[in-house]
Amino acid sequence: MPFNIGQRAKWYKYYSEKFGVSEDRLKREFEKELSGGTEIDDPLEIPDKMEIIFKYSYGEQSRFFRELRENKRIMGAKCVKCGQVYCPPRGDCHLCYEPTEWVELSGKGTIVSHTVQYVTASALVRKTPFICCYVQLDGADTLLMTNLEMDDVEKCQKGMRVVAHFRHDRHGDINDFYFKVAK
Amino acid sequence: MRRVAVVGLGTTQFRARWTEKTYFELGFEAAKSALADAGLSRADVDCCVYGMSNDFFSRQSQPDMILHDYIGLPPKPSVRVNSGGATGGSALRIGFAEIASGMYDSCLVLGVEKCADCFDYEAGRSSPEMLRAALYAADMTYDNPAGRTAVSGYALAVAAHQEKFGGPAEEQMAKVSIKNHGNAIRNPNAQSPKEITIEDVMNSPKICGPFKLFDNCVISEGASAVILMSEEKAKEVAKNPVWITGVGAAHDWPSAGSRENLYEFAGSRIAARRALDMAGVNDARRDLDLAELNDAFTATEIMAYEDCFLCGEGEGGRMIDEGATLADGDMPVNLSGGLIGCGHAAGATGIMQTIEVCLHLRGEACERQRANARRGLVQSCGGPQNAWTVCLVLERGDA
Repeated sequence: MPFNIGQRAKWYKYYSEKFGVSEDRLKREFEKELSGGTEIDDPLEIPDKMEIIFKYSYGEQSRFFRELRENKRIMGAKCVKCGQVYCPPRGDCHLCYEPTEWVELSGKGTIVSHTVQYVTASALVRKTPFICCYVQLDGADTLLMTNLEMDDVEKCQKGMRVVAHFRHDRHGDINDFYFKVAK
Repeated sequence: MRRVAVVGLGTTQFRARWTEKTYFELGFEAAKSALADAGLSRADVDCCVYGMSNDFFSRQSQPDMILHDYIGLPPKPSVRVNSGGATGGSALRIGFAEIASGMYDSCLVLGVEKCADCFDYEAGRSSPEMLRAALYAADMTYDNPAGRTAVSGYALAVAAHQEKFGGPAEEQMAKVSIKNHGNAIRNPNAQSPKEITIEDVMNSPKICGPFKLFDNCVISEGASAVILMSEEKAKEVAKNPVWITGVGAAHDWPSAGSRENLYEFAGSRIAARRALDMAGVNDARRDLDLAELNDAFTATEIMAYEDCFLCGEGEGGRMIDEGATLADGDMPVNLSGGLIGCGHAAGATGIMQTIEVCLHLRGEACERQRANARRGLVQSCGGPQNAWTVCLVLERGDA
């Protein structure tokens, strides 16, 4: 027997609270099923969610994120042997297998390659359209994947000079800064 | 090293959504049809390699363990491999090694992917949540927050290739989409058979960078399986074996900042060169009769022509302009429809591509048959900017 109205309301409330999905959205997907619109052998779909909460360590890269959060500084990691400067930083050079030491970078850099995302993952939809680009920071030998904020996203070009801007509220993650075209 | 034969082929349809079967039921169907095609039963399988990419898609960690039970193969040894979009190719490579090394005489290589269980209730569809699940494969500390999706990674590489070589042009990319959706019309297992025009592609919604909707492959649910066998055993049981004569693989720097340049897939070139050399193929354009290449995006198929030495670097666009890779061209590419027309079910894709080439070599590809096909190439790629590439050369029994 299909659910009556009261049973359906309880079902929507249960999954809405469990998964943080609005009852209207659940109703759109499941009303046919719950009101008897399917046959007993038809495929039965049901909501679910996978979620894990973390507390993870930045390990040897910890200073990079403290400098962002506390001092608005972007640091590079320089191999003590070959001198290659990594940004994003690394505790050890992946070519020499020797440790790196911290060097301060200016926060200025150059667009090496860029693209504009119009359609993307649910977690990023609120940002669209946005520029996803590789920036080579002055003094660094590697590329940083980051976002460039521009009024007209179509105007981004390879070779443009850009500069890091720090957000007012910083949390100690890579989103504490973003880039704008240098004036 | 022992010779390795492909003796059984089985696949489900590739579809946007399978509600009639679960992940494990899809795997079962592919395994059952591959065994039936080989005239074997589950008792004849010595070992298994499972190609399964994303645990978030399947809503299940270590799904190989459950599938192994579901298809009744305990206590046969198995291993699950995962290299993103190249997972199917990697599974074949490991299966090849199991037989070639002499460790086992028969191996079931089975790939499964089911991604549309991910669901975005706000949008009322799967893909945004499925892309969110895939985004967990970008470096979580540095790249994920900037939005390094599979699409944006490839868009950055294509932009660099266009700057260096002046192509591929967007009209050339559109021709690949028309070709692959069109080829899919003759493939009953394909997800996206369509007759479309240049205008349809050029006017389709922008997705990212140079890619519009029709430049993208279609994400699929499906399962594909092959049975690999040693020469000795294949001669006893197989009516129509196909031989794997070349295998090449590379795992390139996934961080583009670590690569020498952004404009080519250097790892893909290494993988293809190694597979072609192993098979004794000197001139790929002359010595191959067909190829199934990575068309995750229209532009990556054009770059694959170059990376598999079907033409010189920067000349890929010309191959599609000249019609060489069309179904009636001298080097048909993606007669299955490829990832754009047949579909992309990460763990199964490389195996689907291999099945397609085997069908042509066996003369069983029906109305899409490449006449007198003797030797074909498979290119299976995954990860940001083709971080993983696996290439296989396959040859007809009498070749």
